[in-house]
Amino acid sequence: MRFLALIAVIITGIILIYGSVDMPDWGDPHSPASLHVSPRYIEKTMEETATPNMVTSVLADYRGYDTLGETTVIFTAGISCILILRERKRRKKRKINPKNPTNHV
Amino acid sequence: MFDLIISKYNYWIYIILMMIGFYAMIGKKNLVKKIIGMNIFQTAIILFFISTASKKGGTLPIIMHGHGAHAVKAASYINPLPHVLMLTAIVVMVSTLGVALAIVIQIYRRYNTLEENEILRLNK
Amino acid sequence: MMLQAPVLIVVIPLMFTFVALIFGLWKKGLCYPIVLIALSLSFLATLQTLNIVITSGIIHYRLGNWNPPWGIEYVVDYLNAFVLPVISFVAIMVAIYSKKSVEKELSDKVVYFYCIFLLQVTGFLGITVTGDMFNLYVFLEIASLAGYALITMGEDGAPFASFNYLIFGTIGACFYLLGVGYLYAATGSLNMADLARLLPDLYGSKVILVGFSFFMVGLAIKMALFPLHVWLPDAYTYAPSSVSALLAPLMTKVGAYVLIRVMYTVFKPYFSIEILPAATILCWIAAAAIIFGAAMALAQTDLKRMLTYILVSEVGYLALGVGLGNRNGLTGAILHILNDAFMMLALFMVVGAIMYRHGGRRISELRYLHKKMPFTMAVFVVAALSVIGIPPTCGFFSKWYLILGAINAHGWIFVAVLLASSLLNAILFFRVIENIYLEPHDGDIVENHDMVAGAEESPLTMLVPILIAGAGILSLGVLSGKIISTIIQFAIPAGF
Repeated sequence: MRFLALIAVIITGIILIYGSVDMPDWGDPHSPASLHVSPRYIEKTMEETATPNMVTSVLADYRGYDTLGETTVIFTAGISCILILRERKRRKKRKINPKNPTNHV
Repeated sequence: MFDLIISKYNYWIYIILMMIGFYAMIGKKNLVKKIIGMNIFQTAIILFFISTASKKGGTLPIIMHGHGAHAVKAASYINPLPHVLMLTAIVVMVSTLGVALAIVIQIYRRYNTLEENEILRLNK
Repeated sequence: MMLQAPVLIVVIPLMFTFVALIFGLWKKGLCYPIVLIALSLSFLATLQTLNIVITSGIIHYRLGNWNPPWGIEYVVDYLNAFVLPVISFVAIMVAIYSKKSVEKELSDKVVYFYCIFLLQVTGFLGITVTGDMFNLYVFLEIASLAGYALITMGEDGAPFASFNYLIFGTIGACFYLLGVGYLYAATGSLNMADLARLLPDLYGSKVILVGFSFFMVGLAIKMALFPLHVWLPDAYTYAPSSVSALLAPLMTKVGAYVLIRVMYTVFKPYFSIEILPAATILCWIAAAAIIFGAAMALAQTDLKRMLTYILVSEVGYLALGVGLGNRNGLTGAILHILNDAFMMLALFMVVGAIMYRHGGRRISELRYLHKKMPFTMAVFVVAALSVIGIPPTCGFFSKWYLILGAINAHGWIFVAVLLASSLLNAILFFRVIENIYLEPHDGDIVENHDMVAGAEESPLTMLVPILIAGAGILSLGVLSGKIISTIIQFAIPAGF
């Protein structure tokens, strides 16, 4: 089982490194990521959002909907933890019997 | 070959880190070790993304002495978009970690062990 | 209000979650009506969106009024608008159905259960309606986290099954994120339409190739495509009845929708079929999934576990339709999204009702059940006929289009696989139906008879959704032609 996992990991790593050969160099100011969408965020942030911090303006204004999704993720995780962990103190420990599944928690 | 390593070594370091985390997730038998592996894997992905945002000679993506009307050149600031995406990804990572640990606590309450072999044996 | 319909689909269940939490902590009984109101409003919004798409064409809804690709955009075309009402309708049916079983299984956590239920549906709707790759990742994680929590609430063995699902699901989501990252590093954009415009120049680049492969593997994990399906049988068997009834019809179908989007909208069809033989590989894996699912289902003695293996087989049908790469195959796959949602909904709701009344679900214990639960068993028979593929149930029509697509692509072995799986499904279901409709002889074991003696027909809140699902299977079969000519014909991505 560990051998299989090692093989899978090595194959995935080789595929990833093979893919990174064509990637833009580290720190390249002419990479597609730096030329396509983000110049507008950098140049127009003061006039469109009046915020000097570009990360804030993208997070809260241009892509604010992702921030709503992110807060929903935290809320989901919080309610999930309550759902999973809360236990009534008066319930006693049940024995596990997977051959005859019963349907109450 | 040498200039390939010089220009792309950041990606390679993060890929090796990702693979360490990935191996821990699928190869280890202890549940907590799997969670640690998951954390390493997701952190390495976040660092990988951030490394695509750097620019030679660029500074932090905050306009100093803002509120004055002066021209802003895109090449003098690093790319803010991957940082924003990774803020969301960090939050998602922490939430998944929280839910995973809650499930592990519930498993421990029922089986009193955290080794996968023991749990599979007790389940039979 | 009508123009805001695309975003109301997602926002209404989200906001009503907070309302349900606050009012539910005050009075427990208020949760259930709030959930029903939220899901009904969302269903009306999905119907309104479908109406707008049919009459006016593709909707481009810009969130925050920023032009894409600098802002996030909701793009609703025929494919989106077709999947959204399916998700909403299944969610309403399960919400109505869940009242009795949640009160029995999770009596002290009803409020939190319904909150996570609404968040799960929000996640699915958000994945389907968005036109931005990273936004899809955020909503995918909402749906996944809610799913892990819901599955943990089940019976013995559920927390460990949910943990396995968590590890697998996180690997899948992280591979998807890696794919988005590679695509971003090569193009600089995150918007689906923008990527479709920028990518054709870069089809020879290794970065794009690796990004596409990671998308495929990540989505295969989320969709439970063989051989990455191993989390599905345990997770859906041990989950509570309402949770299996919600997740089984929806999670895999949403995964198939995202697969169609990535393979044929973001990457043009000639990339997925010719440059990289992804569609061919997908066809062979799908054929293996179909046979494997049916074969493993034959070996099960637990009814719910058998249904989860049939679900693995159904995912194989979807992947086969997507991979065949012609109009008939894609028509079959898209129609099968609708049909399979209804079939799995009916089957899992019936099993939940049996467990609620009867307490057990081994196939050998189901004798004499047709006398005690006639309507429920009738719906089970209808759903079984649909899985086998007998007209006029809806399952026949999607299988018909898949076989036509396989013939068009000269894939004779796939035709053989489809026909063989119908035969295997027939053997499978007739074994169960024979047990249900058989009356025990005098010499039979008395304890079986005693257990069945207590069972009566399902409670009303469970029976009504089951009957609606059964009626849906029959009427969708009759209406298949109309659905295909008005909606699905235009939902097939351009290039076929």
